Amino acid sequence: MSEAGIEIVALLEHTTPPSGLWLDALRRLKRNPGALLGLAVVAVFIIVAIFAPLIAPHQPNDQNLALVGSGCCPGPSWGHLMGVDDLGRDEFSRVAYGTRYSLVIGVVSVAVGLSFGMLLGAIAGFVGGVVDSVIMRSMDVMLAIPGLLLAIGIAAMLGPSLWHVMIAVGVANIPIFARLLRGTVLGQRESDYVLAARSVGVRKRIILSSHILPNSMSPVIVAGTLALATAIIDVAGLGFLGLGSQDPATPEWGTMLTNADLYLGTAPFLALFPGLAIVVIVLAFNLIGDGLREALDPKLRGRA
Amino acid sequence: MLRFVVRRLLLLVPILIGLSLLIFIWIRALPGTPADALLGERATPKAVADFRQRYGLDRPLPVQYWAYVKTTASGELGTSVASHRPVTTEIRERFPATIELTGAAMLFAISFGLPLGLLAAKRYGSAVDHASLFVSLIGISVPVFFLAIILKYIFAVKLGWLPSVGRQDVLIDAKHPTNFYVLDGLVTGNWNAAWDALKHLILPAVALGSIPLAIVARITRASTLDVQNEDYVRTARAKGLPPRIVDRRHVLRNALLPVTTIIGLQFGLLLGGAVLTETVFALPGMGSWVKEAIGNHDYPVLQGGILFIAVVFVVVNLIVDITYGLINPRIRVN
Repeated sequence: MSEAGIEIVALLEHTTPPSGLWLDALRRLKRNPGALLGLAVVAVFIIVAIFAPLIAPHQPNDQNLALVGSGCCPGPSWGHLMGVDDLGRDEFSRVAYGTRYSLVIGVVSVAVGLSFGMLLGAIAGFVGGVVDSVIMRSMDVMLAIPGLLLAIGIAAMLGPSLWHVMIAVGVANIPIFARLLRGTVLGQRESDYVLAARSVGVRKRIILSSHILPNSMSPVIVAGTLALATAIIDVAGLGFLGLGSQDPATPEWGTMLTNADLYLGTAPFLALFPGLAIVVIVLAFNLIGDGLREALDPKLRGRA
Repeated sequence: MLRFVVRRLLLLVPILIGLSLLIFIWIRALPGTPADALLGERATPKAVADFRQRYGLDRPLPVQYWAYVKTTASGELGTSVASHRPVTTEIRERFPATIELTGAAMLFAISFGLPLGLLAAKRYGSAVDHASLFVSLIGISVPVFFLAIILKYIFAVKLGWLPSVGRQDVLIDAKHPTNFYVLDGLVTGNWNAAWDALKHLILPAVALGSIPLAIVARITRASTLDVQNEDYVRTARAKGLPPRIVDRRHVLRNALLPVTTIIGLQFGLLLGGAVLTETVFALPGMGSWVKEAIGNHDYPVLQGGILFIAVVFVVVNLIVDITYGLINPRIRVN
């Protein structure tokens, strides 16, 4: 072997082993302390959601009116870690059960926005022409109404209920995902591998589903994770405005805050705990989203 | 430049048509009919039929839509069901409240977010940088209404430093020629009223401004870091310009370009967040108005109010786009 050949072999032995985009991203995500913290927090919340009946000392709707007999409301104590609400219910148990709602809320809203948004964006980007114009101009119209207001409008149309609020927040997110996916699909459509697939006669639908879409996924994953965070905030906000669950027994954090606002003078902890729960879960999803953004950024690939 | 402005104006036409259609359909899809809302549930069928005929609700939908577009275009938005006052009159009173709030929130966000982002970029990797990242992470993670409740508790309930409800103390006798209360106080020379209105504005503005603050800090930091590595900055440094001049003329001017676009987009977020902030602080603005209208099935208010907010948002974005074209000659070319 020539000397140059030996040098190349030596060089190859020192580079990182070959890996795909996802493995590489995962490796970098594991080195990001923020993202790891976020993942740990989400894991804790999932565990609390699953084992809520075991973790919560009381049922979320068990009322002990004797506790609020001498005024609202007894603050945190060993018996009631987060105090007792105006109806004599254990706040800690309600916050713990509320975890179930928050996770479902995030996933359902993002699923609605993501699925319809991706579908519309992919069609607009891939088909182009009149279809593209019609879809994207409709998205522009939706974007002309400030997001939260659009969600409020849709929720009002569907009638007050927690499911409707989740759908409303999801629908308000459709134009954002549609724009994102259209942009990436347009970028991919002109790339060489698509040209190669087209030239060997692969059908359009197959090109879109097995060539373009998988390669357009990384921005969608990042935006989807960050959207989980905003969806939880928005649904809580609509719940706070009274558009969410009409059943006061539902331990949804946003709805709990509406009530807590009334007792702010005497029982501020009733607002503090559900509010902090929202902040922590939203913070966790934001950390994961930022970590994923850095891990999936092709400009940063191979570094760090 | 003129062509750029004209093209942006033409793009408005389909948006406005779409918007009017969307709101027209939305109002008709709301649960309950206007007749139920206005006449009550026990109205006789005859009364309902008369009502429908009077307001043209028995005519075909395209005819109704055309009538709606014609009256709206002439500036007529109907009368509120709840207050029996013209929607336009109420907008005149409430819109200044919301603008005052969103303006103050934006001012707060820019005056803290911008220096924070710049400082973080200048001291990249330092404690200041980490602090700025932490602040912006917290800013986007704390719900506006929760922050509003916390601020209200600390500064109004507990410390009693600032008022927690309304736009002005009811005991203050003030005239309101413009309905911008702070401005009104200044214009009429009533310093006391202006100061009181300003105090009422602080907590809501800080609560609402927390998100744009986080985003402005983030974008400023990122764009300053980008610009700092540009060739023209290196050239400026290499030819011996003092660092202060390089920062101001070469870095800052270019780094602020993306920040201006973000400010326009943030305005929509602020208008949405105003619904929550106005609710917590009982401010009689557009947001709390729309919220009440949903509860009251006040269709004229919903129809007019949401259309008005959307049009304002579209116009603000148009202005931002045009300003962007003015300050950044690069995008005018194509």
